[in-house]
Amino acid sequence: MTGMHHMLVHFPIAFWALATLLVVLAVLGRGRAAQIAQVSLLPLLLLSLLGALVAIVSGFLVWPWQANLYSPMVRNHILMAFWALAVWSMLTVLLWRAGKTAFNGKQGWTLVFLALLGGGLFAITGTLGGHLAGAPTAFSQLLAALGWKLYNTFYLPTWVLLILALLGLGCALAGVMGRRRSS
Amino acid sequence: MMHSWRIPAVLASLTLAMGLAWLTQGTGVVLNDPARNLHIPEQLTMPLQVQVAYNPQHIFFRYRWPAERAHVYHDMLRFADGEWVRHGASGVGPDPDGTYEDRVTMLVDDGSVPEFGRYGGYITAGANARFFSDEAKPAEVAANPHLGKTLGESEVRKYLPASRHESADWRSVVDAAALQDQRKAGYFLDLWHWRAGRSNALGLSDDQLVAEHRLSDGGRGPYTSNWDGEAKQPLWMFAREIRPSHALRWEEVQAERIDFDGIYYLAESFAVPFDPKHDWQNGDVIPRNLLREGSGSRGDIRVHGQARWIEGYWDVTLVRERDTGQPLEDKMFLDQGRYDIGFAVHRSASGSRWHYVSLPHSLGLGRTADLQATAFTGEQPPWSQSWFETTLFYPGQVNWPLLNSRAHAGSLDIAEGKPVRPRHSEEQLAHYGVEMEFNDAIIRQWRLTLLAGLWMLLGALIGLWPAFSTRNPGERP
Repeated sequence: MTGMHHMLVHFPIAFWALATLLVVLAVLGRGRAAQIAQVSLLPLLLLSLLGALVAIVSGFLVWPWQANLYSPMVRNHILMAFWALAVWSMLTVLLWRAGKTAFNGKQGWTLVFLALLGGGLFAITGTLGGHLAGAPTAFSQLLAALGWKLYNTFYLPTWVLLILALLGLGCALAGVMGRRRSS
Repeated sequence: MMHSWRIPAVLASLTLAMGLAWLTQGTGVVLNDPARNLHIPEQLTMPLQVQVAYNPQHIFFRYRWPAERAHVYHDMLRFADGEWVRHGASGVGPDPDGTYEDRVTMLVDDGSVPEFGRYGGYITAGANARFFSDEAKPAEVAANPHLGKTLGESEVRKYLPASRHESADWRSVVDAAALQDQRKAGYFLDLWHWRAGRSNALGLSDDQLVAEHRLSDGGRGPYTSNWDGEAKQPLWMFAREIRPSHALRWEEVQAERIDFDGIYYLAESFAVPFDPKHDWQNGDVIPRNLLREGSGSRGDIRVHGQARWIEGYWDVTLVRERDTGQPLEDKMFLDQGRYDIGFAVHRSASGSRWHYVSLPHSLGLGRTADLQATAFTGEQPPWSQSWFETTLFYPGQVNWPLLNSRAHAGSLDIAEGKPVRPRHSEEQLAHYGVEMEFNDAIIRQWRLTLLAGLWMLLGALIGLWPAFSTRNPGERP
């Protein structure tokens, strides 16, 4: 399954890389190019999600689950893959919901923010995959310079987990309150 | 406009969450805990330089490594209020009094232990080893027919995998005849063991081996115990001509600088029987080990010249006959021979598993290898060749059974005989070793981190939901 996973991960990597460019073009661009980007983005994102799900499932079949759990880099690979999938899913859902208006004003900047965040996360996921496949890249040196060595598991202290939980709750409450007012 | 504040607030929350995560990741779990044999050294890797030379009779290994200070005092007895208090027993992490010696060790094989050439000292780290968090209970080891009853040991130390029926079970030692046959077949690792305290002062090194246990070669070692367990006092003290007080002083032991030409050790040649009636003063110190000339196979390795710590570096040269005539205890260095070697250094007053180890390297005598031994004639190696530089790393609690289990993604590679070096760097192995010491806690925290991130993103999606309204439902991009 190792070779199959290597092949399959190219789909979400390529699609999300292209999607990042299209989001920037759709929000910040003008004219025909921006229009094409806006029209093509949602189908591309849907394909990306499909590709990502298949890649993740195939990834879990490479090594036994216990080996995945015991390897710091595989742990990181899994965590970053899920976070990247979550960010891109979020972007896809928001775009689906708002249609063309998603590219305007603050909504547009939100898409750019999420695309860059998701792009960063899948870049890290891919770098970790390269390490695991025995082909590390220089990107990992940049991450090390920024304070994270990929050989160490990415985990947070409990107090930060609590802050994340509260921030997530706060965001959700803001959304629920907004929906009630809207209705 | 009603959503004007919501989008910035959600994006700010996401930014805060990600920033906080980045800045605090990897903290809060890796904490020293002596009760579980956990202590993580400040530095996880260190450099070691090596040169090797040989003449027709002898082989010389020269080692050079950095150390903030020299630790030559080891296992000392300090007189305090009528009792002799021990300082420097093997413990967890660095000795708080600095009374634990520096060491350099080297494992050598001639190809008879092929896994050693691929995985180095990892193959000697068996299950439930000494000072691992799951170390075997001394009573159980002492009751083992071979380790306890025959060898008189109460700890699981290094052992080779095939010395057990199940390499993951330290108890399952193969029978004595098989052990003997393994030894005859060369299935053991020669262990050169230089100690700054217990051998260097007399210009000696210990000569040991790893087979079904870490064993000493036959003959007499360079030190013996200076402790009378029944009387709870030393057996020997300094002769008056050497030290008028019959002892060292604790202030000397604690001093950072060592006078290598002075007396900082107790040797057979100037020791006299201990006198309990002497007027011992608080702070008097007597080493708990008595140094003596080695003999037999165990005395094969000596210090060449003087091994000294100078300006932040140890410089140690060991010499041994290339053929000691002890094929069951030593590996012979032959012309055109190619050997596998692995190094380890203990420094910073740390003992047992708190050492830095190397990956395996090849050594060639007239043959191409990682480390090329230089032939010369005469008694003094010219040391004209450049240093062989290697990186040593703290190995943590990773053992051979784990590496061959389903918990190691590379276990199939090991089964196929693929070596470690192309796969893992020393730095990587050091970090993995540390994480393995806290594996359960890290896995738990990692799971929570994964979920917390997803929860945060779900909250952000709900928070943004009203701002991405479907006021124009027919207008899909």
